[in-house]
Amino acid sequence: MSKEMTKLCELVLKTAKQAGADDCKVSYSKSRFVEVQYREKKPETVKEAGTQGINIDIYVNNRYSAQNTSDLRPDALKTFVNNVVETAKLLEEDPFRSLPDPKYYEGRKDLDLEIMDPNYDQITPELRHQMAKTLEASCVEAGGEKVISVTSQVYDELQDSTVMTSNGFFGETQSSVCYVFVEMTAQDEGNRRPNGYSYAVDRNLKNLPSCEEIGKQAAKRTLDLMGSKKLETETLPIIIENQGVGRVLNGFMSAMNGWALQQKRSFLVDKKGEKLGSDVFTLIDDPFVIGGLGSRLYDGDGFATKKRALVEKGVLKEYLIDWYRSRKLGVAPTTGGTSNLILPPGTRSVAEIMKDLGRGILVNGFIGGNSNSNTGDFSIGITGTLFEGGELTQAVAEMNIAGNHLELWNRLAEAANDPWIYSSWRMPSLVFTDVVVSGV
Amino acid sequence: MGSISRRDFLGTSAALGTAAALSRIIPGALVESAFAGAPGFFESEFGINDALCKKILEIALSKGGDFADLYFEHTISNWVSLEDGKVDRANGSINLGVGIRTVKGDQTGYGFTQELTEESMKAAAATAASIADGKPKSAAKEYIRLKTEDYYPIKTLFTDISLSSKLPLIKRVNEQCFGLSDLIIKVNATMHDQQKRMMVVTSDGVKAEDLLPRDYLSASVVAEKDGKQERAWWNFGGRQDFSYFTPDLADKLAKEVVDRAVILFDAEQPPAGEMPVVLGPGVTGILLHEAIGHGMEADFNRKGISTYSTMIGKKVAEPFVHIVDEGITPRQLGSINVDDEGIPGQKTMLVENGILTGYLHDKISAKHYNVKPTGNGRRESYQHIPIPRMRNTYMLAGETAPEDVIKSVKNGIYVEDISNGQVKIGEGDFAFYVSQGKMIEDGKITKPIKDVNIMGNGPKMLQNVTMVANDLELHEGGRGACGKDGQSMPVGFGLPTCLVKSMTVGGVQKQGA
Repeated sequence: MSKEMTKLCELVLKTAKQAGADDCKVSYSKSRFVEVQYREKKPETVKEAGTQGINIDIYVNNRYSAQNTSDLRPDALKTFVNNVVETAKLLEEDPFRSLPDPKYYEGRKDLDLEIMDPNYDQITPELRHQMAKTLEASCVEAGGEKVISVTSQVYDELQDSTVMTSNGFFGETQSSVCYVFVEMTAQDEGNRRPNGYSYAVDRNLKNLPSCEEIGKQAAKRTLDLMGSKKLETETLPIIIENQGVGRVLNGFMSAMNGWALQQKRSFLVDKKGEKLGSDVFTLIDDPFVIGGLGSRLYDGDGFATKKRALVEKGVLKEYLIDWYRSRKLGVAPTTGGTSNLILPPGTRSVAEIMKDLGRGILVNGFIGGNSNSNTGDFSIGITGTLFEGGELTQAVAEMNIAGNHLELWNRLAEAANDPWIYSSWRMPSLVFTDVVVSGV
Repeated sequence: MGSISRRDFLGTSAALGTAAALSRIIPGALVESAFAGAPGFFESEFGINDALCKKILEIALSKGGDFADLYFEHTISNWVSLEDGKVDRANGSINLGVGIRTVKGDQTGYGFTQELTEESMKAAAATAASIADGKPKSAAKEYIRLKTEDYYPIKTLFTDISLSSKLPLIKRVNEQCFGLSDLIIKVNATMHDQQKRMMVVTSDGVKAEDLLPRDYLSASVVAEKDGKQERAWWNFGGRQDFSYFTPDLADKLAKEVVDRAVILFDAEQPPAGEMPVVLGPGVTGILLHEAIGHGMEADFNRKGISTYSTMIGKKVAEPFVHIVDEGITPRQLGSINVDDEGIPGQKTMLVENGILTGYLHDKISAKHYNVKPTGNGRRESYQHIPIPRMRNTYMLAGETAPEDVIKSVKNGIYVEDISNGQVKIGEGDFAFYVSQGKMIEDGKITKPIKDVNIMGNGPKMLQNVTMVANDLELHEGGRGACGKDGQSMPVGFGLPTCLVKSMTVGGVQKQGA
């Protein structure tokens, strides 16, 4: 498999050079997936296919073009490469474009990240159908008479990728992904039909929670939305549930990258070294988490990956800067994007924290929202549950939180002990104090 | 020009047309070998004939099922962009493949392949067939070519447009933006063009082919004043011919985007609370699309997920409210000559005289509801299963003058553009960010506003539309994409000026305020 992929990459590089390219990077990826969806105890859809594609980056006379194709027949590919080179020549010059300095390729760790399920080939059609059935049945049972509709899904994929550059980079990766999902719609008062879901995704099938458990969770999460109300505007502590933290954090992270910094679309320009959040606010980019969804030994530029603190106890330590933006900005590169992003979990559970806080809102979902990477201003609609005396008392909807990222993270009071591991951003539930939650 | 082999043609296409050079590098045979809209592309280029289609369809029906179809696609996309004053980057992609589907009741089996060889197609068809478990069925002997209107004819294929003719337009946008205001500090501009060829062949003997252009010229700017930054973005496009992209259009785009950024320096946050909201004409139609349109897609109703699933024949709005979804307005982004299941482009009334009259159907939901499909069966690509999707969705114009709508409001807001919308289909709850708008004070439009959300409930909002003006406008853009079930789909939208008598505005008070 990989030999054949390597051979084709070599051919593309050779063809690019012959066509007049100064340098070239070729990425060849292949995948094969199966998806099974169930509804009303029978398959709603069954889908299966393989895909493949080649992406090439061409550098010629300080000019650059990147294109991809799924037509890999040798002669067609040759014509494709020739034409990408000719296209690049017609563009204006960009002196900052080049393949990375090969010194950044060096130091790649020799480590098995375990991102490929060794038993992947034991996932049979029968197993997939059985899992989808169990997900559905468990959710239907737990949802009881409120259930209007339940749909379950089982998805798995095998991916192969080979990357090669004309200045000596070579990388190949094989990985797998197993994903289970179930959603439920419930009958609420006044023709409201809340929809909730639960899911899990892992490199390795055996690491997923049981389908019974996920089905039950989906029912619980849906029923938690029943009877929701808009409350009066109030300043409260809020707990953002682990799997929702990414939606808020994204507004901060989108200002961290080289493009935003260089194109003056970032509120974090010139903020490196400054304290922007509380001591709880630490963000680690860790590419070496065993079995992690974001784990990798080399990044998009081919740089050997490193574990690094982006934010440490509230202080901004590093930006995310790829090779090209580093040249435009005149600074050293780090990496173009995160691998596994970790905010260190705390020691207490959400239930324990709620008891301490007394009254507040546990946020379990978002709607709409906006975050301005120039100013850091954000606002977003929330759904959740009010808690009083540490007990969940009333579902809330149609409410809104707003603020500025340069201020929000100072209010981060605590991280719970529950990192959400079914994402490359492994976030625990987070507690923010004194948040204006707007409603009526 | 003489004949050009299938392989050469594809190779040429793979150059993604960014190259001016295309016709220079590969002599112009391409121009004649496949011209805009001409049928027979997949047969002449890949040898896909009726006999082969019948053979593949019968494998898809080898275990029975109600019907099967084949969806062939060949799409070439290009992006050419300017950053820091230079047009110095070009991206592109070519997508080729066939999706094969077998349908049995509400159930779907689906396989696809990127190789249009008989062997690969047979394997994909066998995957699709696995959804059924009955006796083999035969497919039609003859495949009748569906005759359709052409709502987006193009004179020149995008693959034949030289990169050198795009460059000056993009550069002009940049120069104009900087020329219009000293406050502008960054300009990004992009030209995108896509040409998608598709062919649907169904087991009951329909064959439909189409060539869909999709394109835009877009710009985004950052402005700076007294240490503060504001930004804006805009685009013009749709399913246009290249002749649409003129220097005048570049100038119009620059003016639009600069005005949108610069006005924000004078904008304030309006007071929060429940108040009347006037939706301006055009792009605000996104609100109708999100808050109401999705709830009328039949799959959500078939499954009981939508809040509208028990509302057919019932009053959902005032009698002067009429809402349509159609695929037939020339050049609109959501227009389709034929849908992705082989049903001709058409117009569907959703709300007539305030009564909910029907849903948007694909073949599966139409059968479920025992109605005719409405031509809303759409898919992102050959890799995707068709599902009910909107096309161009808008409210019909009323009789009131827009000025009178504004005059009727004592204190409220006037919304000109919205973004980042989301709706919960089952509750109908939605939230939108107002990216451009003004205050209404004593019946007059006054100062600009910013940093404000509007939140509400779709069905309630529709009931609260109390005035509709006579100025229906459809948004003239090429970027409007709607996401559903992981599939992105180009759609059009529009609205006449209309009054929603009460909506929740704000919720964006700064913390501590």
